Amino acid sequence: MADAMLQLEGVTKSFGELEVLRGIDLEVAKGEVVCVLGPSGSGKSTMLRCINMLEPPDDGQIYLEGTDICKQGGKGESGWDVDYVRRRVGMVFQQFNLFPHKSAIENVALAQRTVLRRGQGEARTKAAALLKRVGLADKLEEYPERLSGGQQQRVAIARALAMDPHVMLFDEVTSALDPELIKEVLDVMRELADEGMTMVVVTHEMGFASDVGDQVVFMDGGVIVEQGKPKDVLESPKEERTKRFLGLVLEH
Amino acid sequence: MDVIIEQYFDLDIISDNFSVVLDGFWQTLLLSAIGGALSLTWGLILALLRQTPGRAGAPIRGLAIAYIDTFRGIPMLLILLLVSGSLGAFAAEGTLPQSIGIPRWFGKPDPFWYGIMAITITYGAYMAEVYRAGIEAVPGGQMEAARSLGMSYRQSMRQVIVPQAVSKVIPPLLNDFIALMKDTSLVSVIGFVEVVQAGRDIQSETFNSSALTLGAIFFLIVTIPLARVVDRLIARQQERTSRTGGGAGPAPTPSPATAGPTGGPV
Repeated sequence: MADAMLQLEGVTKSFGELEVLRGIDLEVAKGEVVCVLGPSGSGKSTMLRCINMLEPPDDGQIYLEGTDICKQGGKGESGWDVDYVRRRVGMVFQQFNLFPHKSAIENVALAQRTVLRRGQGEARTKAAALLKRVGLADKLEEYPERLSGGQQQRVAIARALAMDPHVMLFDEVTSALDPELIKEVLDVMRELADEGMTMVVVTHEMGFASDVGDQVVFMDGGVIVEQGKPKDVLESPKEERTKRFLGLVLEH
Repeated sequence: MDVIIEQYFDLDIISDNFSVVLDGFWQTLLLSAIGGALSLTWGLILALLRQTPGRAGAPIRGLAIAYIDTFRGIPMLLILLLVSGSLGAFAAEGTLPQSIGIPRWFGKPDPFWYGIMAITITYGAYMAEVYRAGIEAVPGGQMEAARSLGMSYRQSMRQVIVPQAVSKVIPPLLNDFIALMKDTSLVSVIGFVEVVQAGRDIQSETFNSSALTLGAIFFLIVTIPLARVVDRLIARQQERTSRTGGGAGPAPTPSPATAGPTGGPV
């Protein structure tokens, strides 16, 4: 597929005896938003971490814009072209992971300077613009400990966007937030999707998945159990496991 | 009672020898400052070597661990005697150039520099362990976040991990510095006159210990405020930790200003 942004073929990953991913095939088109659902321990997060090589896969191929990012294969970080991937793939974490010793604007500027070699002025200008875009124009010089969870997560999104990624990965980014703070983060993500960003979103937010997702993937036990249009997967799942999971989630 | 006061607090002896003891204490301060700065640097280098990632880093990690284990496990006095005894001998044989075997840099005598070397070798190992605790106390997500932004391991360590680690371990590093300062008195054993040796010389001339008491007072003038600074920093960190509810530093240790004979951490 010519316009595939991301393709996973037979990706496997084990931690010791534990097989976390047991052959994942997934295709994400340019500009598409893929929402990944599934019970905890199903391998969703590990899949994301494989895509940006925080956990190099044991086996299988991952193509980013047609380039096999696992060129040499084999295990271990040295066999993989880590920098190529990470400069093109942005990631946002459940726990925000902002740098606590840097202000919001410095958080967003740091990697621009060290990785992209942008000058201090350029990096800060871009950082300020991005923070404005996520609604934090008045928090530029604030340190993370003085920001709410929702604000911290929006800084983290701006920080990832500053690297001009081609794909954004979101790893349960609202799970650690108080309910009233979830919306502000989802709104930012919704805007990003509207602007055509390619996104892979691991989430428990069914509303977001059905509204914003172009594709919904249900994972369980390290495999993709079911995937398709949000309406099909969420409203009329074919697989028993999907039905059971959705039943449990939507019950309350 | 009078006998005791006279033995330890003879004001005549104190005032007669004040400048001699003060000169000695100045040497103590120089040993502490230079030895402390070098130990802080060497300790950080050792800690980073100990954290070298990957399979390729294994030999470096192994060497760093061996170094740290070795020099934490040997008394500094022994290191001091090894350094001072052997470097001079190597210089005499011609194995080492004179300027290194018998260092007289910046107008300071060779025992001074042997002392600096022994302090750095020993306290570098202690401080490496303190830095290590700090590095390990930085949450793993910090390294992941930095790496996910495309920063290299070195960039991530330098920009993200080490600054956080160092600020977490400033109190225990200061504690080590207090211990280091007290251990500088060992350099008197190889013939360098610092505050303890100065006091001892006066003691053997006068059969009175008041000059040593004066030396002790000089020490306390520096170490007690330092210990208070440590306590305050720890209190501030704990306040911070309880406010943000996470990211706790390594367990703070009480100040050893009043710890055992040589006060060295174990």
